[in-house]
Amino acid sequence: MSIAQKLQNLIDSGVHRIGEIEIQTNVSKSRFMLCHWLDVEKSHEPELGGLEVFDDTAAARDISTYAEDGSYRFTKGQVNLKRGWLLRLQSAEELRLALDHFYPTAMGLHLAHSEGTLEVENLRDKLNRQTGMYRYARTISDAGAQQLVREVCGPAHNCAKRILWQLDPGTPLDDNEASRYNGIPGDVSESEAIPLLCREACNHFVAECRKAAKAEFEQKQA
Amino acid sequence: MSIAPKPHSALLIVGHGSTENPDSSTPYFDHAAEIRRRHLFAEVHCCFWKEEPSMREVLYQVDSDEIYIVPDFISEGYFTQDVIPREFQLTGPTTIARGKTLHYCLPVGIHPHMTGLILRRAREVAPDIAPAQTTLIITGHGTGLNQNSTKAIKDQVNLIAASGAGYAAVLDAYMEEPPFIAEWDQLSETPNVVVVPFFISDGLHSYQDIPVLLGIEPEVGPAASQREVFRHNPHHLRGKTLYYSSAIGTEPLIADVILDQVEDFDKAHKSL
Repeated sequence: MSIAQKLQNLIDSGVHRIGEIEIQTNVSKSRFMLCHWLDVEKSHEPELGGLEVFDDTAAARDISTYAEDGSYRFTKGQVNLKRGWLLRLQSAEELRLALDHFYPTAMGLHLAHSEGTLEVENLRDKLNRQTGMYRYARTISDAGAQQLVREVCGPAHNCAKRILWQLDPGTPLDDNEASRYNGIPGDVSESEAIPLLCREACNHFVAECRKAAKAEFEQKQA
Repeated sequence: MSIAPKPHSALLIVGHGSTENPDSSTPYFDHAAEIRRRHLFAEVHCCFWKEEPSMREVLYQVDSDEIYIVPDFISEGYFTQDVIPREFQLTGPTTIARGKTLHYCLPVGIHPHMTGLILRRAREVAPDIAPAQTTLIITGHGTGLNQNSTKAIKDQVNLIAASGAGYAAVLDAYMEEPPFIAEWDQLSETPNVVVVPFFISDGLHSYQDIPVLLGIEPEVGPAASQREVFRHNPHHLRGKTLYYSSAIGTEPLIADVILDQVEDFDKAHKSL
């Protein structure tokens, strides 16, 4: 079964949310209609509440590139998706393509996780394969890495992903808001949403590890 | 060219990407959309080193069991020879990984058809000047660390010089090794100079750094739409008339070169 068909099955079973996007079905002469979940009420108003309407999957990339404040959303798990738009799609394949632009690989990771085939990469493995200027990131202490998760990850720090990785096979993340987060922003139950999953630490986290490792080294020298 | 449809295969376009400049990945998505429109593959995806989806994760979003991986890079080098094979765990031209058959094609920038694209871009940016009074400069990054980074440009210079295009001179020049692009006026003996950046996207180098080296811009500015830099041709600088094009990788026909690399892979590695 294709990813698009599995996505259709999930929607048929009641799933209607991924990240900050609400997926509505069979409205406004469209098979699927996507908008920011905070714009759902507007989308039911006359003239679609003045939302800017798009009918092309490519619009998904344009919509999701910049946040409202003009900052570049280099990782799409950020909780700052623009509002004020509506994307109408006519097939599950189009829906899948649009969601791949909004949340790259999120569908595939969720399906693999559900089927037990997702290979998670722990932080130490990720850091140990860094080269060049990021090689130094591997020297960060466990305590330093745990602190970074608290300071960098989770919705309080603008990331909506559920962290699946540990520091290493024997060292889970400390319990905190970021490590506990379920990858579903907004007020919706887990049975109604596709969670955003963090299979491995992102480039931003690795860069922060490098900075923290340098600070640790300098502190020891002082 | 017309590649035979591959309705059971996926095409994966690999790029560098950027955590700072979204213009950097725009050409990859444009080329993917163009190829998708032609319905040649079951699916077409992009993946990146610095953006999402990553090379490590992108296979989770591919349905097809057979995948052609085309590096949309300008030359053979660190990324095409080390990073991409490592990230996909490739062991040769064809690798079986996670139940999928991965075909690793050559990078876009070294395909012979790039010559025609450079000439086309040079004519577009300076349509009314006589080639006989014009020097065409192909410019790239250049680094003493990797000979291959300049080889693709030098190859194109030789091909264009031999092509009968009629330019008074065809030269290579670089940001960080001689001959330096900053000395474009001294390198050129003609009144007209056309500079084509041999980069995949209008990112940091072609949009921000090289305009400063050429003297078009006084200092490196913020990334923005390419219009502002490229629409003001020609530039009258240092006693010459300079035409500066956008990066060769933004040329829509790169989509055809991506397909050329798939076709060449099949010719080289698959019995038809």
